[in-house]
Amino acid sequence: MDGLITVEHLHKSYRISKRGKGIPGMLANLVAPKYEKKDAVKDISFQIAEGEMVGFIGPNGAGKSTTIKMLSGILYPDSGQILVDGKVPYRQRKQYVGNIGVVFGQKSQLQWDLPVIDSFELLKAIYRIPDQTYKRNLARFTEMLDMQEFLKQPVRQLSLGQRMRADIVAALLHDPKIVFFDEPTIGVDVVGKETIRTFIRELNAQDQITMLFTTHDMQDIEKTCKRLLIIDQGNKVYDGALSGIREMYGTTRTLDLELQTEVQVAPIPHVTISRPDDSNPRKWQLQFDHHAVSVQELMGFLLATYPVRDLNISEPEIESIIRNIYGGRQSE
Amino acid sequence: MQSDTIHLIGVYLKTTAKAWFQYRVDAIMRSLAVFLREATGVVVIYLTLMKFQDLNGWNVYEMLFLCSLLFLTYGILIIFFTGLRDFGNTVRKGEFDRYLLRPRGLLFQIIFVNADWFAAVGHGCLGISLFLVTAGKVGVVWNVGTVLYYLFAVLGGVLIQGAIFLLLAALNFYLLETDSLKELLYYDMKKFAAYPISIYSKVIQICMIYVIPFAFVNYFPAQFFLRKQDGAVYPFACLYLTPVVGGGVYLLAYLFWRYSIRYYKSSGN
Repeated sequence: MDGLITVEHLHKSYRISKRGKGIPGMLANLVAPKYEKKDAVKDISFQIAEGEMVGFIGPNGAGKSTTIKMLSGILYPDSGQILVDGKVPYRQRKQYVGNIGVVFGQKSQLQWDLPVIDSFELLKAIYRIPDQTYKRNLARFTEMLDMQEFLKQPVRQLSLGQRMRADIVAALLHDPKIVFFDEPTIGVDVVGKETIRTFIRELNAQDQITMLFTTHDMQDIEKTCKRLLIIDQGNKVYDGALSGIREMYGTTRTLDLELQTEVQVAPIPHVTISRPDDSNPRKWQLQFDHHAVSVQELMGFLLATYPVRDLNISEPEIESIIRNIYGGRQSE
Repeated sequence: MQSDTIHLIGVYLKTTAKAWFQYRVDAIMRSLAVFLREATGVVVIYLTLMKFQDLNGWNVYEMLFLCSLLFLTYGILIIFFTGLRDFGNTVRKGEFDRYLLRPRGLLFQIIFVNADWFAAVGHGCLGISLFLVTAGKVGVVWNVGTVLYYLFAVLGGVLIQGAIFLLLAALNFYLLETDSLKELLYYDMKKFAAYPISIYSKVIQICMIYVIPFAFVNYFPAQFFLRKQDGAVYPFACLYLTPVVGGGVYLLAYLFWRYSIRYYKSSGN
């Protein structure tokens, strides 16, 4: 597969100054500063094809932002290769950045004191956007994101959701081929998040824009991306379809059982049995790996053996699967 | 320069002016405040000179003529170099990332993306007022030669100060904090430059000619017109070197800036 974005053995570390405690530590630091090397990104490789939309997730400090910054040409990697659309981002900055758009959810690129439209006009001049393209894009995006009412308002008067929508449009006016979103829904309310997700999805479907986006909100990923990249402590831990992650990590099934009478449920091989609710002795919870235990057999056995009133089997939420993946390394 | 670059400069200037002058009364008051703050320094010089008659042979009008060059060059400087003056903040807040993401020259963007118009108007007006009041009284003869000299001297003076800002901005790639260094290398030097350098000790004089060449911003250009006795100890060529020194130090600072950019480390979120 030759991707539009190719990343190979990417590595980046930071020097963190390590300071001793108190005044002696401060003085020592002044005379002979000590540094600690911290690997932000360790040997990451992946490819993204044209038109793909990829969710990029990981806990805080996992290296997501560092990777995005290297992909967008802000940071130099220590080693490894990045090739995006045939260009090396950090070497051919000026030719490269005209083809990409970057949205930092936490850092606005709009002029704080001026109406939104003024920032757009400035971007038009910076990116040399032809009049026609500019007008077309502006009309289309303001319509899609319902921005007409606040286009002439100063940015400082906007709500966070409105500002975020304006920032997303700002990154798209010049028809970028690739867009990096770094937490585009952070702090936005439920309705606003939904608007942004719908917009991103439509844009990807209609324009074939390639997108990579980081978020902490799994709903964002579930509603927009087919493919998921998970990194943790600088390492890639998962790269594949969103559905595949359930197959790989989410094999645990939970069976909630309510009996008609207070009967003790006897141990069953490969099944963890617990009582979720102390006040109700008729409720039981059974957890098992659905590869090791047949759901059909287990249910048949339960129904034949116990006076079952209610029974419910649930798959794990994607969010808790991810939590398990992050948590897994701590227990290793 | 390409026409779209000139167009962009126009849009930048329009945008910054719009942002700074959004509230007209406030903008006028603030510009006036800058004007008055700086003018108090001038009043101090004036009152001092009233007592002493002259300072190393410089009378009060000649002193104010010397000062007018400082204010005028700063007024012009700050239209273009606000982004470099505040560059430490830009780096600390991680806003430099945004410049890197735009398909334009970095220094070009920093220069045009912001302009402290209050300072520009305040210092500029003070400089022009002082010039108008004093130029006639210190015996300047205006002809094509002296007008040209004056224009080049102002340009050189702007470049010298711009080079100091650029040097300090480049240091931000290595050090996170350069404010106190700026205080020492720029603002303290500027305070010294409000008086004829001949009144200072040898060390400070050498520093202001050869290290941080602030003497070329106003002392030597003023000497070109006034030819005061105290200037005889310095090489005669100094009177003509302001544009050369300006271009030279700016080039050096620019090379240092180009070299330093690779050490940029983006800040975390």
